[in-house]
Amino acid sequence: MADQTYFEDVKEGQELPPIKITPDKSQLVKFAAGSGDFNPLHFDEKFPMLKAMGLSENIVHGRFKYAQAGRLVFALAGYKGRVKKFGVNYRGMDLLNKEVTAGGVITAKRQEGGENLVDLDIWTQDADGKKTTPGTATVALPSKNS
Amino acid sequence: MADEFEITDEMRAQFGVDSAPWTYEVTTTSVRMYARGIGSDDPVHYDVDFAKSQGFRSIVAPLGYLGTPVFLPGKNDPTFGFPRREGGPRLNIPFKGLLDGGTETEYFDVICAGDVLEESSHLADLKLRDGPRGKMLFVTNESVYKDKATGKVVAKQKLTSIHM
Amino acid sequence: MAQVYFEDIKVGDEIPQLKKNCSTQQLVLWAAGSGDFYQIHYDKDFAQNTGLKGLIVHGALKNAFLGQLLHDWIGEKGQLRRFGCSYRGMDEPNQDILCRGVVTKAYADGGNHFVELDVWTEKPDGKKTSPGTAVVTLPSRS
Repeated sequence: MADQTYFEDVKEGQELPPIKITPDKSQLVKFAAGSGDFNPLHFDEKFPMLKAMGLSENIVHGRFKYAQAGRLVFALAGYKGRVKKFGVNYRGMDLLNKEVTAGGVITAKRQEGGENLVDLDIWTQDADGKKTTPGTATVALPSKNS
Repeated sequence: MADEFEITDEMRAQFGVDSAPWTYEVTTTSVRMYARGIGSDDPVHYDVDFAKSQGFRSIVAPLGYLGTPVFLPGKNDPTFGFPRREGGPRLNIPFKGLLDGGTETEYFDVICAGDVLEESSHLADLKLRDGPRGKMLFVTNESVYKDKATGKVVAKQKLTSIHM
Repeated sequence: MAQVYFEDIKVGDEIPQLKKNCSTQQLVLWAAGSGDFYQIHYDKDFAQNTGLKGLIVHGALKNAFLGQLLHDWIGEKGQLRRFGCSYRGMDEPNQDILCRGVVTKAYADGGNHFVELDVWTEKPDGKKTSPGTAVVTLPSRS
């Protein structure tokens, strides 16, 4: 785990170091195990719904991509920070064995309710760079002065 | 047919109807499996002693993971695991297609292994939109998670599904 | 099943059969439950690259099915003491796996009533894929 980020360390417009992962079947099966979503859409290449959706490959769980955005935001918060809120919309599908990249940019710094808050645009993008999973987050960071 | 679908008053009446509560368990095993599932190797999700050394009660649930619902055969969906409960909003949606629309989690505390949560959900939003293949119904349910021991709300999660 | 008692059975009896048929989803559920994420059980390309024809059922899952066969038979008052099997043949998903058992010994010893069995899984053509044995105790009416 990286060093703790403090409120004074970040500025608006700052991009977060991206998190990349290329989910193979093994990864999606482990995600099924962890999340409880055993939809065969994500691991059975013969599942009839794939054909009905016009897909040639299994697709990545939307919640898997949400979790990648979660890892990004969790890394920013560090163990002393707290993630207040984070959400995404699933606008496009990501396919098996294709790289998923979670990214984010700080859009605002503010103080509210005695906390030092940082707002972000977050997303995951597919292997072609398309932002399939856009969203926002708010993180409370510790201050160097406290 | 999908194109003739309209949101009915009966559907609108489902707002404000709370589902019966359900227990969600956050265990060391389940936290580790979720962390493995998302490809994280942050020790705070795996090593209890390490997590405690960082000031947490136990290993920390990765973001978005709010425990696993207690599974009772016949009571939970066998593929997705969610509980099918008595009471709660009933929408009777005629569409066969179902996709995940969006997820938003709001935290009021850190969720750690050992937490036992009580979840209850209610209908938060209904939107009908036109899509490339006809009408699409966006249904948002909000789940409120309380710590069973303290009764305090620890997280809220909004799940949007797209029916088409 | 009604509770079975020691006096109800004799050597040579076959216990009620258990038929299983694993979907690919079932194999993934087993991976989740057991923690065995070996890809030959859900990734066809991976399985074929190791020389297999296609996906195969986890040996440990068949062992678990035999455990279920015994658990269902002995009832609440019976006790499973020991059981095991060898994974001699491969089973595939979406194909019937028949779990069977036959009583080979029945005796009383030290206040307990023991029953020994041969147990196995077999394919639709009758080929035994996971032969094994078990020792249980049953309640007695005496």
